Amino acid sequence: MKSTRYLVAVPAALALALAGCGGSTGTSGAGGDTGSDTGSGDTAGYSTDDSNCADEEVFCIGLVTDTGNVDDKSFNQSAHEGAEAAATELEGVYKYIETQDAKDYAANMAQFTDNSYDAIVTVGFLMTEATVAAAEENPETKFIGVDQGYPEGTELTNLTGLIFPEDQAGYAAGFLAGLMTETDKLGQVLGQEIPPVQKFAKGFENGAKAANDAVSVQTVYHPAGDNAFNDPVWGAGEARKQLAQDVDVVFGAGGNTGNGALQEVAKADGAGESVYCIGVDTDQWDTVPQAQPCLITSAMKLITKGVTDTLMTAESGEFEGVQTVGEAGIAPYHDFEDTIPDDVKSQVEEIVAQLQDGSLETGVTL
Amino acid sequence: MSDTRTEEAPPPSDGGPREPEAPKDRAGLLAYLIGHQSGVVIVVALVIALLIGAALIRYQGVNPWYAYEVLLRGALVNDGALTRTLQKTAPLVLTGLAVVLPLRVGLFNIGAQGQLQLGAIFGAWVAYVAGGAGFLGAVLGMLVGIVFGSVVGLLVGVLKAYRGVHEVISTIMLNYIVAGVTFWLVVGPLQGESSRTSGIPQTESIPEAARLDTVAGVPVGFAVAVVLAAVCWWVLGRTTFGFRFNTVGANKEAARYAGVPINRVVVLSMLAGAGLAGLAGALEALGTLHRFEPAIVGSLGFDGITIALLARANPLATIPAAFLVGILRTGAAGLQFQTGIAPEIVDLLLALILLMVSIPVLGKWLFRSRADKQSVATTSWGN
Amino acid sequence: MERLSTWASKNRTPLVIAAAVLVAAYAFNLVRGDIAPSMFGAAWGYAIPLVLAALVGVIGERSGVVNIGIEGQMLLAAFAGFFVAAVSGSMIVGVLAGIGTGLVAGGFLAVTAVRWRMDQIIAGVVLNIIATGLTSFYLVSGQSLPGVIPNVSVPLLSQIPLLGEVFFSGRSVIALIAILAAVLVHLALFHSRWGLRTRAVGEYPSAADTAGIKVERLRMVNVTLAGSLAGLAGVYLSMDASSTFEREMTAGRGFLALAIMIMGAWRPLRAFSMALFFGFVNATASQLQQTGGFSIPPQLTATLPYVATLVVLAVAAGRVRPPGAVGQPYVKKDQ
Repeated sequence: MKSTRYLVAVPAALALALAGCGGSTGTSGAGGDTGSDTGSGDTAGYSTDDSNCADEEVFCIGLVTDTGNVDDKSFNQSAHEGAEAAATELEGVYKYIETQDAKDYAANMAQFTDNSYDAIVTVGFLMTEATVAAAEENPETKFIGVDQGYPEGTELTNLTGLIFPEDQAGYAAGFLAGLMTETDKLGQVLGQEIPPVQKFAKGFENGAKAANDAVSVQTVYHPAGDNAFNDPVWGAGEARKQLAQDVDVVFGAGGNTGNGALQEVAKADGAGESVYCIGVDTDQWDTVPQAQPCLITSAMKLITKGVTDTLMTAESGEFEGVQTVGEAGIAPYHDFEDTIPDDVKSQVEEIVAQLQDGSLETGVTL
Repeated sequence: MSDTRTEEAPPPSDGGPREPEAPKDRAGLLAYLIGHQSGVVIVVALVIALLIGAALIRYQGVNPWYAYEVLLRGALVNDGALTRTLQKTAPLVLTGLAVVLPLRVGLFNIGAQGQLQLGAIFGAWVAYVAGGAGFLGAVLGMLVGIVFGSVVGLLVGVLKAYRGVHEVISTIMLNYIVAGVTFWLVVGPLQGESSRTSGIPQTESIPEAARLDTVAGVPVGFAVAVVLAAVCWWVLGRTTFGFRFNTVGANKEAARYAGVPINRVVVLSMLAGAGLAGLAGALEALGTLHRFEPAIVGSLGFDGITIALLARANPLATIPAAFLVGILRTGAAGLQFQTGIAPEIVDLLLALILLMVSIPVLGKWLFRSRADKQSVATTSWGN
Repeated sequence: MERLSTWASKNRTPLVIAAAVLVAAYAFNLVRGDIAPSMFGAAWGYAIPLVLAALVGVIGERSGVVNIGIEGQMLLAAFAGFFVAAVSGSMIVGVLAGIGTGLVAGGFLAVTAVRWRMDQIIAGVVLNIIATGLTSFYLVSGQSLPGVIPNVSVPLLSQIPLLGEVFFSGRSVIALIAILAAVLVHLALFHSRWGLRTRAVGEYPSAADTAGIKVERLRMVNVTLAGSLAGLAGVYLSMDASSTFEREMTAGRGFLALAIMIMGAWRPLRAFSMALFFGFVNATASQLQQTGGFSIPPQLTATLPYVATLVVLAVAAGRVRPPGAVGQPYVKKDQ
């Protein structure tokens, strides 16, 4: 009967180990009877009690990720924060679901529609089709698809795809990099070769060349399909190699892979003095503090603001169209305010203004 | 749900990798346990795993019984939930079988992941191309899925039988190779026209007529999977062919002495298992996503391992085992929605279940090694 | 002198290959001094965790125990190292926690696969799945490391042209340990009593048993201790090569290490070379992508190590032979 003893002993030991583990890491969802206290529980100015979402007065927001987590320091997190902000502003209700399986998009959105939510944010282009289908089925619910461009002829008033001119953000960041580089060599460490990343990358390259035609840009995408955005070790290795090849500004764009590159540059000799890094998507000064020693700016698409604004629109009236174009730009320089020469700053400012008023084209085509 | 396993006292001809005869002098409880350990031990293991899971959920500040209730309701009771659970169960039955068949011969197939992926991409593509033919296109897609899955299996089997390459190593390598190749295909030659501009890595959408739908709430894919599980059970338990499988798995020397063509059996087992995994991929493409995306695989292949062990290598038992996994996977989203528990809890629960059901493998070892004082490996690394 | 020449004649093929590789490397450096050192550096950086992980596999299999749970061991250690360091505010405590976790994970495999005679492959699979489940469920965001693992330059050795630059200058402590570990495991395995016993236990356990070696105990000790190397590899990933822990960040390196172990014919130094070779393949692939020129799709170049392993196994079957008793639990005949 030896085996029965093990049967009991092992789980007990394991449970102990787990309890210890959870304790040491502290806050893991502690006290969380809601899904929305990840990381920022203290700012929750909204409710998660969705029992009266059918009520006209209560504005309920749901968010569904495409196989990612809301703490990904990248676009899921930005959208999540945007939805939180809107829910707080509107004193509404907010909940999210992190999709585990691409086949569950419809079912996960149905969780919200079944409970009479007013607006649903779906994050990521993988959900494009599922979002259109859900919007058709639920005309009463407003759908916002982040990074989703819908096919010609989509005519739904309860749906808008939030897209961003990534190429403009990349262009402005590249322009800055082109002016900052001493070696005339720039590097890009990128995630998967997909449209949003490509637009950032090509914009960066064009911007850099516009600022400084002697510049060469070394671009590398992660080779694998499934973990292309989640391989910080690979990103760090590539950044290290680029630095060794005299690159002095590295653009890390690709979720955790890109973050790995930023952190590596931050550890390098001369970080912040002769070598710099540029982040992506959000102001990574906040999301990746480890990169601060080298992070002069980030090529941002303002997902958080875009999601908040679009949600406010959804609450008060009609979307402006099937696509809503959000803002893109570059993040503040933070501690590098003094390091970056004034004439560089004014030139970049001018470029940003030109990009925004449409007088300057980035020349990026996919 | 899982209680169904108790009545699954395996028929004598069908006891997993076959037990040697218990010595006559061992009587009573021990013999009984050997005879029934599959059913009893698995239920005990499941209960323990779920109890530990409950403790973990409790630790997250959520009432575990409420959490389990939400999970079950989200997977079985809610509107359309059962259909979705069955839809998730279908490929799981098949990947479970993909592990079970080689396991009966003593091979450990951890490559269902890759076999499924290759079957899925080509199944989806053929069903798209032949979509005009309606249901025939769907059938063609499934056949192509089987063929491409089998190709991977054939390679593994031949390498094993004729070159002595261990199947665990070759299947791991092939998982990565297939992942790379399919990803290249789906952003290159096989990428859908409409996706080319947006750059989304996916193939063309399969026409409505060539998709697999549900009949009276039961997904066609599930029916196919159940039938195949029954066929596998019948073949393994009731035919000479199956007898050869079991003989090779139980004792290679004896099999050789009895004139069983071992190499051919080895290749066939991999071929058949991988074919089923390929079919699972095609079914997923035809029945749920209606195209191929890299994310189609999820963890279906690896879940197959858990299912095969849970089912104790019994083909029929893969159905309830896969159903259990299907319930957990389907209920996860509702669990997060209702209670805020991260859906990764399901991975943790499955890991616990796998741990608990495989520890009795040890029980089995102990019983067996005492029975004939000889170690018999289900899988042997070296030869 | 005489011993040296017998040693050289016994190891002629590897020596010739090593010399050829060195000449080629220096020649490349001469021609493309602008990119060669950085490519070799990248190759070694890529190889560091693989060397450590492959050594785990070598020790295990040489003792007769398959370890396909290396991936999980690394993942658990990366997790523990990172979060303990972040919470305790001390890098060294984190590193020790990571290594300790590696030991515990090794112990898990030892107990299940050796003591309980659970199927070794199933035990490894269980370990991997548990590691994934635990680390992704308990992950919390917003933590960061309190410092960095120091880089060091070895005096004298770092002065060697190219080799010194790649291996001994400005590399982290863990990188140096990896080199040391490969050499030490090689020496121990082939030139010590422990090594002789280990190989006996892995090759022909019943004979070893007859000779008075406690088969099970030696296997358990080896598998457990090897876990510390997996722990170090995990620590390297989350605390040195990057400064973050992410879900499934090992990204298949544990499995790649198995391929390397086989390609290295279950010998530490050959595995070391193979890891470097794969690292160089990776560096070349990204260099080609980076400089443009003719482009092989990166998805396909990424599969190269795996294809190479399959081809080598298929072609060299019989010549590349795993230890005899690998995968089989040992049961005393007269128990």
